[in-house]
Amino acid sequence: MAEANAGGTAVGQGSTASTFTVLVADDNEVAQRLCKRVLEKAGYGVLIAADGLQAVDIAMSQRPAMILMDVAMPGIDGLEAMRRIKEQIPTMPIVIASAHSMASDRERFLAAGADNVLSKPFRLADLIAIVAKLASAT
Amino acid sequence: MALAAIFAIQALADAQPVVAFPLYLTVVLLVSLQQNRVESIAVAFVAAVAVLVIPLASAGQASDVAPAVLLAAVLVGVAVAMSELARHAREAAIDTQSRLAELAASERRLRATVESAEVGLGLADLDGRLLQVNEPLAALLGRSRDALAQTTLIEVTAEEDRDALKDALGMLRNGDVTRWQADINQVCADGTLVPVAVFISKLPNTATGEPTLLIQARDTSASRRSDAQREGAAAVRQVMVTSAGLDQALPQVLAALCAYLGWDAGQFWSVDADRQAMRVRYAWNASGAVVEGFLHASRSLVVVNGAGLIGRVWQSGVLAGDADLEHSADFGRVEATRSAGLRSAVAFPVVDGGEVIGVVELVAERARTLQDDEVTMLATAGVELGQFIRRSDTAQALRRSEADHRAIFERSPFGIARISSGGELLEANPAFLQMLEHDEETMRTIAWPDLLHAYDQAASRQHKAPFLAGITDGSSVHARAATGAGNWLWLQLTATSIPDSSGRPEHVLLMIEDVTAVRETADKLAEALEAQRDANTNLEKLDRTKSEFLSIVSHEFRTALTGIQGFSELIRDGGLEPDEVRAYGGYIFSDADRVNRLIGDMLDLDRMESGRMTMRSAEVDINEVLTEAVSRAVPSATAVEFKSDLDPRLPIVAGDRDRLIQVVSNLVNNAVKYSPEGGTVTVTTRVEGRYALVSVTDTGIGIPAEEIAHVFERFRRVRSGAAQSIPGTGLGLTIVKQIVEMHGGKIWVESAVGHGSSFHFTIPLAPEGAESLQQLRHG
Repeated sequence: MAEANAGGTAVGQGSTASTFTVLVADDNEVAQRLCKRVLEKAGYGVLIAADGLQAVDIAMSQRPAMILMDVAMPGIDGLEAMRRIKEQIPTMPIVIASAHSMASDRERFLAAGADNVLSKPFRLADLIAIVAKLASAT
Repeated sequence: MALAAIFAIQALADAQPVVAFPLYLTVVLLVSLQQNRVESIAVAFVAAVAVLVIPLASAGQASDVAPAVLLAAVLVGVAVAMSELARHAREAAIDTQSRLAELAASERRLRATVESAEVGLGLADLDGRLLQVNEPLAALLGRSRDALAQTTLIEVTAEEDRDALKDALGMLRNGDVTRWQADINQVCADGTLVPVAVFISKLPNTATGEPTLLIQARDTSASRRSDAQREGAAAVRQVMVTSAGLDQALPQVLAALCAYLGWDAGQFWSVDADRQAMRVRYAWNASGAVVEGFLHASRSLVVVNGAGLIGRVWQSGVLAGDADLEHSADFGRVEATRSAGLRSAVAFPVVDGGEVIGVVELVAERARTLQDDEVTMLATAGVELGQFIRRSDTAQALRRSEADHRAIFERSPFGIARISSGGELLEANPAFLQMLEHDEETMRTIAWPDLLHAYDQAASRQHKAPFLAGITDGSSVHARAATGAGNWLWLQLTATSIPDSSGRPEHVLLMIEDVTAVRETADKLAEALEAQRDANTNLEKLDRTKSEFLSIVSHEFRTALTGIQGFSELIRDGGLEPDEVRAYGGYIFSDADRVNRLIGDMLDLDRMESGRMTMRSAEVDINEVLTEAVSRAVPSATAVEFKSDLDPRLPIVAGDRDRLIQVVSNLVNNAVKYSPEGGTVTVTTRVEGRYALVSVTDTGIGIPAEEIAHVFERFRRVRSGAAQSIPGTGLGLTIVKQIVEMHGGKIWVESAVGHGSSFHFTIPLAPEGAESLQQLRHG
């Protein structure tokens, strides 16, 4: 975890003000690495949070352009983290990326305030498209 | 005149006085007999002068005169004597004559008395032959006096009384008795019987020496009729007083009327409820089969108001009779009447409150006229009968009601008891006694007080008033009661106060129902429902668990597949450094491995739970298993310290070594996973009774109390959200528990948040352990 955090911070430090930065909140290290690798390759900045509380902290302190949020995380889950973040920064775009990928889950996440939903496992192009779409909107 | 004639003869013939003297004597004698004394003496004197005249006048010879004087004197003397005699005789004759007249008058008076007597009087000889009868006796016997003169008393007596009369005559004849009296029936010439009180006395006849019988007979039919009416009326009243109801009374009333008043059959016609017609309701046949046809015809007859004898009486409300049925035009049932030979009928109304409610009809085979007293008696009977019918209708309704209630009490399948306001059992019905298997006495003295106590206790529990608290409102309590045979019953007791007229509870009516079966059924039903609910809950839980399981499993798989799919896509697209490819291949491998483990755990669990997993049974050293498991964990758990406290005396157990290593490894890995850096994981073994007790203790984060009960549920880790960063399938502890239980052991956990957790499990020592290591089926 410490390692992941350090990695995220390093990436964030490396980004510029103009860089579209994505906070990836996921407790699964493989998922963290995958998203980081793909998004950075596509030119986005990547911040990593390993659980819900971290996600809220980083969202507040670093103000990423958007958040890619897992749901099943220790501590507070992604939905709770999203609620807290949206409470502070209502305009923060949050995409729920969850392995809970039944149709009902999608509805549930959108109802909870998600701006978009990405089901795991995902095609790399879908991840890039979702982020790109939000990036172009800003 | 005679003297003159004699004198003339004497003078003409100039006869001698001696010659004339007999003549004169004769005349004088005759006159003396005929005439009174003076006249006869006068005649005698004249005759004497005449006797003297001739001799004196003719020569006056002394010889002639002397005989003449003598003769004259004789004449006078004879005349005197004769007249004296005649006078006596005359006086005697007059006396006799007056006596005879007196006697004749006396006889006339007697005769008049006899003739005008009310009673029949007669004389008969000792054989009973009638010598003389008076008119009343002749009338009584229905014959003329002349006809009677040739008959005996026996002949005019009814057959059944003849022997008695013969005996009586015999006794009178022999002098055994001088008087005899009896009530017998005499037979009139037309054959009708007349009840007679007869009195016979033997009269001595001094003149002839042959005694006669004086017969006195009195017609008692009127007094008998009045006696019969009085007795009949009394009998009718008696019937009304003693009868239980109309059905019993009316036939008896009809029978009494027939018997006492001499009718052959009687019928009671009652007015229908709608007052449109009358029908025969009761009949009495006092006579025989002959009348049966008439009664039958009557039964099928419906009489309307005003029609026929019955209808007329109904309409008029007064008694009516037909003395001559054979010629009665308006009397229905003519044919039946004729064939029954009925000649008289009377019908009188049965009246209640001025309304005719029925008609009593009496019929007789003989022609009979109704006397006024009988009419009065029947009319009175009609009124009394009417009152009786009303009373008995009311009484019958009451009795029926009472009988109905009694029947309910006696035959009710529910127990019914009457309890005094003092709490004593007054009455218990058979169902109650049977229910509690007591006789009335033990029920009263033993069972009821117990039941009353049980009632009050039950009432108290159910927040109801005690039994004798006052007016009870008919609410029920359930109480337990023991029967005489010692069985326990559940009784439903329903108490209702029966207040007296002032509203105070007079007694309590208690209904007792055996609800044991109901209670037991209800209990069973409740159990079944509970079981069903549990089953439903389990099913729902199972269903939920299944959905959750699917959701969780798919989540786990998809999480693992995310890395596999994503990195393999990266590799496929190329353009990677060899280091990157190697690293991504490692991620792919570890996730694929995780998927594989997940599948393996799921299959293991499924096989264990379905009982399809077989364990190998071999000698296992638990201490050695622990050492092996720890040594496997150590390399990847550098941040924790391991401690072992293994009991060297721990015997070898029977078990599946690989599975036991799986159990211990799982527990040790968990302990490591949840331990903070620098934590301690301690493994201990010891003998605990007939079990080997194994404990794995960590100093980790602990398990919240509410989670303790669920730690062995599959995927609990994932659901709880706790320690999710720690990789695992979420099935480990579930599998562990299965394996321990398949060895016949138990597993449990003690934990305190912030202080760590201890997982303990037992494995039975051999041989029990070996036995339990069969192909266990886990429910």
